[in-house]
Parts: sequence; C-alpha cells; structure tokens
Amino acid sequence: MIVRALDKIGAKLLVMMDQAGDFALLSGRTFAAIPRSPFDTPNLMRQFLAVGVNSIPVVVLTSLAVSMVFAVQLSFGFKQFQAEGLASQVEGLAVVRELAPVITGLMMSGRVGSAMAAELGTMQVTEQIDALECLATDPIHYLFVPRLLAAAIMLPLLTGLSIYVGYWGGYGLLVGVEGQSSFVYQAEFFKLLGFRDLRIALTKGLVFGVIIALVGCWRGYRTQGGAEGVGNAPTSSVVTSSLWILIADFFLTKLLLV
Amino acid sequence: MNAQPVIDVVNLSKAFGPKVVLSNVNLQVREGESLVVLGGSGTGKTVLLRNIMGLLKPDAGHVAVEGKIIAQLDREELFKVRQKIGMCFQMAALFDSMSVEENVGFSLKRHTTMTRAEVADRVDECLGLVGLKGTNHLRPSELSGGMKRRVGFARAIALKPEILLFDEPTTGLDPVMTDVIGRVILDLKHELGVTTITITHDLKSAFEIADRIALLFRGECIACEAPADFRRNPNPVVQQFLKGDADGPFLQDPPPPKRAMSRALHPPPA
Repeated sequence: MIVRALDKIGAKLLVMMDQAGDFALLSGRTFAAIPRSPFDTPNLMRQFLAVGVNSIPVVVLTSLAVSMVFAVQLSFGFKQFQAEGLASQVEGLAVVRELAPVITGLMMSGRVGSAMAAELGTMQVTEQIDALECLATDPIHYLFVPRLLAAAIMLPLLTGLSIYVGYWGGYGLLVGVEGQSSFVYQAEFFKLLGFRDLRIALTKGLVFGVIIALVGCWRGYRTQGGAEGVGNAPTSSVVTSSLWILIADFFLTKLLLV
Repeated sequence: MNAQPVIDVVNLSKAFGPKVVLSNVNLQVREGESLVVLGGSGTGKTVLLRNIMGLLKPDAGHVAVEGKIIAQLDREELFKVRQKIGMCFQMAALFDSMSVEENVGFSLKRHTTMTRAEVADRVDECLGLVGLKGTNHLRPSELSGGMKRRVGFARAIALKPEILLFDEPTTGLDPVMTDVIGRVILDLKHELGVTTITITHDLKSAFEIADRIALLFRGECIACEAPADFRRNPNPVVQQFLKGDADGPFLQDPPPPKRAMSRALHPPPA
C-alpha cells in the first residue's frame, strides 16, 4: 500500500522532472537559435501583428475595466477616513506596479499563448512540423524564434499601453464620477511612483512575454494524439503560463523592489 | 552504376514500447534505382522512411545516406543531408497557412539565394512537372486529395533532391487518380533521374515504378527482388499479398470466415 503510493508519487515526480527538463532544453535551443540565419522578417512581422497589434482592443478593454473597478473600491475605501485624495496615489501605485503588467500578462497568455499552442499543435498532428524538418528547416528556428521575439518585444509595449489606459480609467472614475479635481489627480497619480516603477513594470512585461511564448510553443510542439491533444494543448498552455506569470510576478516584485 | 549504395539500411530495428515495428531490416538502394516497399498496414513502412529521414532514431542498426550514418549526425549536418532528400508525406502535410506557391517555394527561399523571380520560375517548373500549372495562388484547403499529394511532390522536388521518398502516395485516392500519381512518379523518376523509395499498397503502380520490390512482413523484410522475380516468389506470404486474399499466413488474427464457409461449418437450425 505504502510502496504503491510511493511508486505513484515517484512516477509523477519523474514525469514532472522530465517535462521540466524538456522545457528547459527547448527554451535553451530557442535562445540559441535567435541569431541563426536566415532571418525571416515577414514571419516576424506577422507575429508582431498577431501578438501586438491584434491584442490592443483586449488590453485596452481589460485595463479600462480593472482600473475603473479598482478606482471605485479605492474611493469607497478612502471615503471612510475622509481621505479621498489618497485614492489617486494608490491607484497610480497599483496600476503601474501590479495591475497593468499582470493583467496584460494573463490576458495575453489566454489570447496569444493559447493560439500559439493550438497552431503548433495542429501543425504537429498534421505532420507539418515533420515536413519542416524534412525541408531542412529547424522548427525551433522557424516557429519558436519569431513568436518569442514578438512576445518579448510586444508585451512590454502592451504593458505600457495598459498603464496609459489605466491612468485614464482612474481619471474617468475619480475625476468624472467622484468629482475630484483633474489637476490634483494628474499630480497625485505619479506622486508615489518613480522611474524605477515603470522599469519594473516593463521588465515584468518582458519576462511574462518570454514565459507566454515559450510555454505556448512548447505545449504546441509536444502535442500528441490528434484532436484531443490539440484541444488540450491551449488549455494546459494557459494554465501553465498563468501560473508561472503569477509566480514570476512575486519574485520579480520581491527582487526588483529592494 | 555506383557500387556504394545511396541508401543503406543495416539491421534496422525499432520498437515503440513493447510493440516491435521493425526488426533487423536490411535494404540497399543504389543510385538511380527505384525501390518499392510493400507491406500490410502497420508493418513499419512509414517508420522505415522516418528512420531514413532522421525523424526517428533506430533502437539498433543504422541508416546511412551516401555513406553518412543519419543517427550520428548533428542537427546542421542532418539538415545538409535532408536538403538532398525530398520527402512526400502520406497526407501531403502541406503548410495550410500558405498558398501552393509559398509551399513549393518554401525551401528555395530558405536554402538558396535565388531572387523572387527565379523562385517563381522554379515553382512554375515544379508545378508543371506534377501537372498542376496555374494553381499557384490556391490554398491547400481548396485542393482535392490528389492535388494535395502532387503539390507535396512539387515541394519535395523544388530543391532538386537526389533522393525522393514517397509515403503511400496513392492511399485513399480513386483508381484514376492513383494511376495519375503513378505516372507522375514515373515521370519524375525519368526526368530527374533520382533515386526513389516508394511505399504503397497499390500493386499496379508498384510494378510500373519498381526496379526492385521489397515486402515487409511483421517488421522484417522477407523479399527484395526485381518485379518479375517477385511475382514468382514461392513464399506464401508474398503470393497471398499479390492475390489480395484474406486467407493465408499474412494476417496475425484469422480473418472472419466467408459466409458460405461459415454456413457450412455452422448450419442454421432447421
């Protein structure tokens, strides 16, 4: 009984180690493949479009919603102490340091990471990735690298956009609805923030982008077993990358804020 | 004729878990020769091709292409060897996000310094060779099964390979299209003078294409000889395969009895 339980735990552990090793290996190969020729510019541009430009509406809407809800909560909370003025300061802190990068990361893992997993998964089960291999093209170089570059460059930009939208979301709520002074909001929003905070936010965006692209591509590339496998790839990609985004967020915050 | 075989399969064995797919297969293909590999479903024909391409690693034995042992090459060397081999997949495996033209020109754009016009010319030439001129701007989803296979052929020959591998090029096609594909393979063989390995179930085109025919049976190569000798091979497995009969040693599980036989053995109650 105990032996069997230990056996099961051991087997699970081995599978997990195996997967972690596989992911690390593929990630390493992806980074190593970045400088290799031929550099496929049209392919990269397509990924910029898919990851960046096409994600703008989602990022704008979610950032607006989250920043406004947060402003409502803050203004309600601070009203209890007659300290409404602090709401805009905390709004700035929350949006720049946490809400913008994390919300953007999570939304992108759902929008972009899952799409990558589904696309590569379909290519895997329809032998298109084998066809790439047979045409003497490294799938890592052709498929992983443009997606990684696009996500690593676009996620910080989208995070910046999210901060900008968050600023106006808070403005609309606190100035438009709660009747605070527009001049005060503009000054107070940045009061607790330094340049360092923007840098941290963009660094988080970069790291989240790398996580999303690598996990999405890895899950897709390792798809097995037809339609069911293709169905599972995006789900597990979203779950895994969301989890890693939250874990990475904690450590990045802890390390970079010192 | 070159004495050294272009493709040398030596004692190749491959198993997936407990299931042994290939065991001790030996095959040599000389330059310019056309080998047809026959065999029932699941006898490891595709696995053989995937081992030759280096998509799978053998458990024992090796595959050498032009004297280079595939499993021992690093990725760069492997890609160099693959540029000399054109592989045609069973279900064509076209890139479905690209047009026919982009599919055929894919390797040209990546591995040559040809200009756009030169690539376009070569793509037209390749599509002409498989009888699909004017389909450049269609998407794979707009093509029929036979057309997809032929676009796959055109993509495989774009880089002017010295070896062509066809994985069941006629499976699932109607008899007329099967004949068309057979002719296209013959044309390619004569016009390009390439070494080919074709895997098929279709005996008619097999005898047309082949210089030699091999039969895989339960993971082993039980015959490999010229078509005329193959027809006369006394091995009951070969003869059963040629006749297409369900009764015989070919199937592992006994086939369902024919109706008449079944009725004779188990007469209905009066």
